[in-house]
Amino acid sequence: MSRLLALIGGGGDIGRGRVFWIAFGAVVLLFLLYPTQTSAFRVSNVSFYLLNIPLGLGMALLWGYCGVLSFGHVAYFGIAGYVYGIIAGNMPGDPLGPLAGVAGGLLASALVAGVFGYFVFYARVQKWIIPILTLVLTLLLETFLGQTAGYQWRVGSVLLGGYNGMTGIPWFQIGSLVFEGYSFYYLCVFMVLVCYLGLRMLVNSNFGQVIVAIREDELRTELLGYDIRARQWLVFVLSAMLAGLSGLLYVQWGNYITPSQVGLLQAALPVIWTAVGGTTSLLAVMISTFALNWLTYTLSAQGNQYAMVIIGALLVVTMLFFPRGIVVMLAERIGRLTSRRVSAAKS
Amino acid sequence: MTDNGTAIEARSLSKRFGGVVAADEVNFKVRSGELRCMIGPNGAGKSTLFAMLCGIQRADSGQIFFFGEDVTHRQAFHRVQLGVGLTFQTNRAFHQLSVGENLTIPQGSAKLENKAAGQERLEFALDAFDLDPRDETKAGELSHNQLQWLEIAMVLAGYPNLILLDEPTAGMATEETQQTAKVLKHLNATGLTIVVVEHDMAFVRDIAQMVTVLHQGRIFAEDTVDKIIAHDDVRQIYLGRA
Repeated sequence: MSRLLALIGGGGDIGRGRVFWIAFGAVVLLFLLYPTQTSAFRVSNVSFYLLNIPLGLGMALLWGYCGVLSFGHVAYFGIAGYVYGIIAGNMPGDPLGPLAGVAGGLLASALVAGVFGYFVFYARVQKWIIPILTLVLTLLLETFLGQTAGYQWRVGSVLLGGYNGMTGIPWFQIGSLVFEGYSFYYLCVFMVLVCYLGLRMLVNSNFGQVIVAIREDELRTELLGYDIRARQWLVFVLSAMLAGLSGLLYVQWGNYITPSQVGLLQAALPVIWTAVGGTTSLLAVMISTFALNWLTYTLSAQGNQYAMVIIGALLVVTMLFFPRGIVVMLAERIGRLTSRRVSAAKS
Repeated sequence: MTDNGTAIEARSLSKRFGGVVAADEVNFKVRSGELRCMIGPNGAGKSTLFAMLCGIQRADSGQIFFFGEDVTHRQAFHRVQLGVGLTFQTNRAFHQLSVGENLTIPQGSAKLENKAAGQERLEFALDAFDLDPRDETKAGELSHNQLQWLEIAMVLAGYPNLILLDEPTAGMATEETQQTAKVLKHLNATGLTIVVVEHDMAFVRDIAQMVTVLHQGRIFAEDTVDKIIAHDDVRQIYLGRA
């Protein structure tokens, strides 16, 4: 148990010590109480902000910790979403349908990422080419899905729907418990917590240290006896499954998915969330993913046509003035101030 | 693994870069427990030979054996897993990570059957180099010689049987060079095989038992350190005087 706590609380992410964990617990409590204080509509919106967090965390793990930038991780978001829709949609009324859909969706995103990642990492493709290859994959997927309009493009009884997308995707359910509205919100909170704490354990483990070492210097790490290709591949697949998890939650939230979810604009978003928060921190990316999804939604809901322009501008500002990410640099500043106060109090 | 008393054996290793012959039918052996220095003028092919031994570069032809096992077609990390540690000409400790993390990371792939001897060697080196495995200072904040020493300690943290060091004293002052020599001699006395590529002849004279001289991609001479220093042709090509 103490080893488990040490793994969660280790130095692989910002946020350590008793004060941090008390604050963390308080925020979790606020999220748990939130539905009691607001409307179902707002709860649904917050569910949407939360469901994107696994995708952001996967990006932080892959890019920030392992040093591999994927510009097409939404492909795995879309693959999982579509596969869930196909499986669950073909088992209407069967309570096992959504569970089979979740398993199928995650497996499909892992399989595609596994095959794609095998050729990328085992061929030792240069790092700067990987964002281009991943982007090409997701754009190919979008193009393919976009031309699937018509009755001939169906799997069983489920129509892929072309650019109109796949509609009527079933809610997630376990037995007779259907996750919609408030229960879906709590499912999102639970999944975010599991992903975040699980990834904290991962980055604080020896495996986590090695992937950071790979980011820092691939050759040095390999010449310490590590098969860096296997580790990069594993991280790639894991982050794709996290993207897949977000895709699953997305289709369970909105009951639909369209090819635009794997398009260029969506592909850019996880990169922006990660860069703005700070690539080297899971916590920072979790905060920025939530905040930027809220900002995008709020701007769009107010009729602002420039929501994406503003998000893009935020990325430019971050790159220019906060190169390590806004949340990370703020956290560092707070840390310095706190330690200064502590040492002043001691003297 | 059949250890026939030979730690490294290179057979007819050749490597060309376009029209330049970097290694030309190189044959050499290093016995287990030996402390060997490799010297040669700039462009002699030392770094290429080192890179081929590590697996960073593939030989055009020839074979490489570590402890009797043919590693010619093995990936670099496989060679290291046989119990080989390597440091580079330019320091490649992880500058953004702490000293402690730099020393922990190699232990995940450590050769555990060497743990008893390996841990003693590591602790000796840490003590001699004044490095603390709990130190949270970023490696990038260390001085040049401390970084060089950290990289040697990182290699020792993998509990190797053999270490290959490419210019481990580059940029060090005399006192630090002597300290490095003292540590390497002690490590060798515990049975660790050491191969050092080095320019500093005073350092070579201090530590080496046998010296291999490379010139124009070939083994030019191989003998005890005293004989190599007294060798007229070596003085001619390497020291620039007869």
